[in-house]
Amino acid sequence: MTDKRDVWQGTLALMVLKTLQSMGALHGYGIARRIEQTSGDLLSVNYGTLYPALLKLEQEGYISSEWGVSDNNRKAKYYKLTRAGRKQLETEAREWEQTTEILARFLSPERES
Amino acid sequence: MPTLRSFFARLAALFARQRRDRELTDELESHLQLHIDDNLRRGMSPEEARRQAVIGLGGLEQTKEIYRDRRGLPMIETLLQDLRFGARTLARNPGFTAVAVLTLALGIGATTAIFSVVYGVLLRPLPYRDSNRIMAVFELTSKGTPSRLADPNFDDFRDQSRSFQAIAKYGDNVASVSGARQPTRTTVANVSPEFLKVFGIQPILGRDFTAGDAKKGAGPTVLVSYGYWKQELGSPRDLSQSHLKIDGAIYSVIGVLPAGFRFPSDADLWLPADLGGENPSRTSHNYSAVGRLRDGVTVQQANGDISAIARRIHDISSEQGDYLLKDGIVVPLQDSITGQARSPLLVLLGAVGFLLLVACANVANLLLAQASVRERELAIRSALGAARGRLVRQFLTEAFLLALVGGGLGVLGAFWGVAGLVALAPENLPRLDSVSISIPVLVFAFLLSTAVAAGLGVFTAVRATSGDLRKALVEGGRGQAGAQNSQRVGQIIVAAQIAITLVLVVGAGLLGRSLMKVLEVNPGFRVDKIVAMDVSLPWVEDPKAKADQAIFFSKLIDRLKQIPGVRKVGAVSALPMDGGLPDGTFLLMSQNELPKTVDGFGLLRRQKERIGIADFCVATDEYFQVLGIPLIRGRIFDERDGPNSPHVAVISESLARDRWPNQDPIGHTIEFGNMDSDLRLLTIVGIVGDVHEDSLDLPPQPTVYVDLFQRPRSAITLTMLSDADTRSVTSAARGILQDLNPEIPAKFGTFSQIYSASLGSRRFNVILVGFFGIVALLLATAGVFGVMAYSVSRRTREIGVRVALGASSSDVLRMILSQGLRTIFIGVAVGIIGSLALTRTVESLLFGVTATDPLTFAGVTLLLVGTALLACYVPARRAMRVDPMVALRHE
Repeated sequence: MTDKRDVWQGTLALMVLKTLQSMGALHGYGIARRIEQTSGDLLSVNYGTLYPALLKLEQEGYISSEWGVSDNNRKAKYYKLTRAGRKQLETEAREWEQTTEILARFLSPERES
Repeated sequence: MPTLRSFFARLAALFARQRRDRELTDELESHLQLHIDDNLRRGMSPEEARRQAVIGLGGLEQTKEIYRDRRGLPMIETLLQDLRFGARTLARNPGFTAVAVLTLALGIGATTAIFSVVYGVLLRPLPYRDSNRIMAVFELTSKGTPSRLADPNFDDFRDQSRSFQAIAKYGDNVASVSGARQPTRTTVANVSPEFLKVFGIQPILGRDFTAGDAKKGAGPTVLVSYGYWKQELGSPRDLSQSHLKIDGAIYSVIGVLPAGFRFPSDADLWLPADLGGENPSRTSHNYSAVGRLRDGVTVQQANGDISAIARRIHDISSEQGDYLLKDGIVVPLQDSITGQARSPLLVLLGAVGFLLLVACANVANLLLAQASVRERELAIRSALGAARGRLVRQFLTEAFLLALVGGGLGVLGAFWGVAGLVALAPENLPRLDSVSISIPVLVFAFLLSTAVAAGLGVFTAVRATSGDLRKALVEGGRGQAGAQNSQRVGQIIVAAQIAITLVLVVGAGLLGRSLMKVLEVNPGFRVDKIVAMDVSLPWVEDPKAKADQAIFFSKLIDRLKQIPGVRKVGAVSALPMDGGLPDGTFLLMSQNELPKTVDGFGLLRRQKERIGIADFCVATDEYFQVLGIPLIRGRIFDERDGPNSPHVAVISESLARDRWPNQDPIGHTIEFGNMDSDLRLLTIVGIVGDVHEDSLDLPPQPTVYVDLFQRPRSAITLTMLSDADTRSVTSAARGILQDLNPEIPAKFGTFSQIYSASLGSRRFNVILVGFFGIVALLLATAGVFGVMAYSVSRRTREIGVRVALGASSSDVLRMILSQGLRTIFIGVAVGIIGSLALTRTVESLLFGVTATDPLTFAGVTLLLVGTALLACYVPARRAMRVDPMVALRHE
């Protein structure tokens, strides 16, 4: 458990958006699990970071929430992507790819030569 | 966009916090349960499943806290929290809160009310387009005072100046107008054609004057005000049938001016000036003038322009003497309208500002006492980790709460105050109709409250949070060291209060003494039991028509004498204190040197020894009896003085003394025809007592009285000395006039109303400054009492010890009183110095007393010291009765 990294703030929003895009409506626990799984259990998402991030996205209008019932009959709040959220995801994903690409060039300069 | 959206979301989250909190708890709970379910599915025992889930998730409360910060706006939430806490603190001390709020309400309300008058009269722009470009143009007399313009001088200003895009002259008078609903006395303005252009307005119906309308002999035309058009004419769209009979001549209504335009004030009708031709004299000042500056021209440039023309006229004019202009001047119209009112209003504003300071000082003292009671609370909060900034913010919030509630109440009170001020204000205060609680006034009140809040808040916060708060805890909440310190501050505040109050009360005293001195002046006439009736017949020039009017007045006077209760009936061109008489130069002549031509008079006028200056008054013999103006020597008019017998004059005592020193003026003849175009000589037959014609605080004007039946005029005021009820006299007189000529309107009043109105502005200042002074005195007394009482209660133990050690009760009394006296004397000393410096500003409003009047200063100082000592004595008495046993056990 100690070797897991806490997810860092800026990227969490993007991960949440992407998760909701691929999975559809999902509750907070589901989002956390999914992100951990996708990261190959390298990341751990505790709710101290997850819920403020979800709140921020909701305040900004990128996701919306609604109470529903989970598969095993638990009451849970479900989040889903809004249209603005979809657009935001595209923009952010593109920016992120660009950033990583640039960084990748710096970190492996021999490919350039 | 998302930022803005989230801001509103967060703002919304400030409400329904409980529901939102519950939802968050539910959500986190469901998260936990889902996690436990998963763990169970993985085969953990229920306890283990729960344990692992809780470990994995981190602190629940911490999460909630982070979440809440993100959800709302922490800054506003802290503020709300402070507000709630502040409101609770204030509510826990309803007495303190009520006194503080009401004191502030009084201060802020009074200041707001006075400011609304200052704003409405002095600051609010005149209601015309680019009103700051509209200028008043004056001649300057040889004494350097502004005066109205003579016709040829105005023409030169108009034709030679380059500074104005439009310039016009205007005069106004009250005329009898019929042809509308009923005959009325209406204010009529005589204006030159560019008048409306100066104000940037156009008729909303019909047309403006053209140059043709103003030509000598043009068909008479008139513009009417919107209100007159609606009420008197019945708002006809077609003006071609509208005619008005003004002073006997028929005028066609050609246009209606926009609603609200009433310049000169109260004017309802505007006629072209000089339809009968201009007055060619350069020394008859008949018109005021206004002009609109050309774009880019400054007031100074216009001033230089007009001044140069005026000096040229002065140098080359064939007419000379004191009545010829020396120079010219241009001032913004607004300043010229409000100039007289400026200094009294600023004095009032200053006075009310002082009252506000005294009120704030009281509240500051209350807050200080509150704060030292709260030392323990502050100490605990600070021990629990509250930063000093947080505590300061708490105090600021409370001060804002107090000041804004007080300011709000004050503004509500100011609505009443303004209504009262407008009712109380003297009639000659210009622009009174534009005084109201307007938006700028509200903004002022808000800023004022904010400034008061900031001042009080910072003061208490700094006082209360300085020093080592934890000491208060150690001392068990009875901190003596801090209290000593805060008492010194309290005494400084009280001393300042006394100083400011002294300045204010000295000001009120000086103004009050001036009013008393003015009332002591013998006006030279009786005021009571006189009913005044203004009657104006159409203005005529033909001597025959004039004589007919004199006969009409004679008939009217005979009929009025028959009213039961009426003892005497006189007539006069204008009553004292009612607008003033025209003045001019007369010539000393003998019967045989009458010149043949008008030019001959011009020559005589250059001989200085022949010239005298006096007011010109037309009156009947009984006028002197009605007003009780005493005959000093000679006789007043009588039956001998018919229209065709030699014309006679009566002169006032001061004129006799100044113009005929060591001589008897009776029997001398003078020529005063420039006042009524009658060149017949006047023989002086009597000398009467002096009359304060313009105002009690100005010396009596030298006056020449002529007989109404020899020198008739069309507008007169009838004066009836009567023992009967004013209303019955008025209605009887109205009936008689109606009977003689139903087309002539009259205006009634009593002479005491007119007389009393002339003292209006002085009384207004005295009442207001006096009221502020009294309130400040009460507040300062309360301040002294509060600080002393607090000090005594704090020193109970010390006094107990002293008494136990043998101090007598008079020792205790002396100790407390001397402490109070020190404060009082410091305050009084500072106040006297301040008064000496500040009363100079009211010097122009004083009469008969100097700004450093020792009697006023001594009286006020005594009053203040006496009141303050009384306020000290009550707590001192309590100190004297301290029982040492009770006091010591009390700890």
